[in-house]
Amino acid sequence: MRNRINFYLLEYALHSLWRQKSKTLFIGLVLTLLIFLLSALFFIASSIKHELAQSVDALPEITVQKLQGGKHTNIPSSAVDTILSIHGVEDAIARVWGYYYFQKAGVPFVLVGVDPFEEQYKKSLQKIVDNYEISSQEQMLVGRGVYEIFKEHHYEESFNFIKSDGSLYTLPIAGVFTETIELESNDMIILSKQSAREIFAMDADMATDIVVKVANPEEIAMVASKIQLAFPDARIITKEALQISYANIIDYKSGVFLSLFIVSLFTFFMIIYDKLSGLSTQERREIGILKALGWKVELILKEKFYEAALLSFVSYLVGVSVALFYVYILHAPLLRNIFEGYSVLRSSFHLPFVLDFQTLALLFFLSIPLYVAASIIPSWRVATQEADEVMR
Amino acid sequence: MNKTTKGLFLFLSILLFVFLGQLGYLFATQSVTQEAKEKKQLFVSLTSLPDLAIATEADYIRHRSMSDYFSLFKEGPFLREYFVSSYLYAPSTQYFTARSYEK
Repeated sequence: MRNRINFYLLEYALHSLWRQKSKTLFIGLVLTLLIFLLSALFFIASSIKHELAQSVDALPEITVQKLQGGKHTNIPSSAVDTILSIHGVEDAIARVWGYYYFQKAGVPFVLVGVDPFEEQYKKSLQKIVDNYEISSQEQMLVGRGVYEIFKEHHYEESFNFIKSDGSLYTLPIAGVFTETIELESNDMIILSKQSAREIFAMDADMATDIVVKVANPEEIAMVASKIQLAFPDARIITKEALQISYANIIDYKSGVFLSLFIVSLFTFFMIIYDKLSGLSTQERREIGILKALGWKVELILKEKFYEAALLSFVSYLVGVSVALFYVYILHAPLLRNIFEGYSVLRSSFHLPFVLDFQTLALLFFLSIPLYVAASIIPSWRVATQEADEVMR
Repeated sequence: MNKTTKGLFLFLSILLFVFLGQLGYLFATQSVTQEAKEKKQLFVSLTSLPDLAIATEADYIRHRSMSDYFSLFKEGPFLREYFVSSYLYAPSTQYFTARSYEK
């Protein structure tokens, strides 16, 4: 029975909050804004991590890149045969890909060369490409962002790539990747390896890097070390390394999160310091009068707890609800600029929704208990003194 | 329970309803479906390239997982914060983890 909500006290707490309207409103607003900003950032970060985690299984087990003077450079395709001779290697594919800078728009595209479009390929491609027109000639598939840029510059049917010798290489657009995979494909152009080599002026016996498939996950480390032994100048990236990289893409060491955390923690500390350094004369007098009227310390603290809990809980609910709406329905205007940086090619920022209880709990425990404690401790200090001493 | 308390509970219930309703709506409409996941995996297996096309301004940001701390050196050793994205996305720890298979 002792733990039941005391409605009279609750009513008193409500009136008390109402009496100090401007103070309640100000603290509520600051708390709501703080929770909104933090939760919006957390939601975006967890959605990006979730989106990455969706496709990590489809990545190759090992990527082999040749380094020369610390820079990534082309690798001879013949390295594939050496890698294939290693036990445990299921397949090794020489990849041709790179960046193409479209000067007129100031946009870099990612060009990925794939083997000639075979029948089985085409069937699977139809699932991820809108209005895919199958043709036997050289063609390309483009991401939505790329297509928008092409359209802006009147390249609706085909695009002229400028080769290294200055001549043009025209490729027709066979289709646009569907919206579902926009976050992965927005700046991508898929074309045949032959076309990619033409555009990059790359020799037929060279490749950008080599991807290796290993059937048994237990053997990845051994295969990787054998490849390293065969190619001492290579950078070997295993799937495990990619997973680690995905996990800490946005971590607390990076600038924005660190500075936001510092700002929010300082704000909280300011509120707490302000509260701990003593109550206003009016609040002290109020507690004194209550004590003189016969209120026990316990009741006074309970009333203060109701006040603080109500204010912070409402701020939490409003802050998080607004953040959800802002991130997933409005697609985070303004804040998305931080995530997109200076990129000219913008995606529509349709992030997948993730019900992340960890984030919700983190925000809950960062806001409510801290504020409640900051309200109760000074009240307890005053309430334990004699009534006449407090009112004097 | 008097009128004020009832009003408070009504207000809190509405807030909770909006909050939970929004969670439910977003979960139903904006989570990744199995079909969407398959499409994403199909695309990634086609290109076999990691990372998302959100920030595309520099190659070490676009394909961050395939770069290392020193990829930025190509742009000049003092250009640590030339792009705002490098302020947000943590640099890949690839250089140290790539040899993790040797453990």
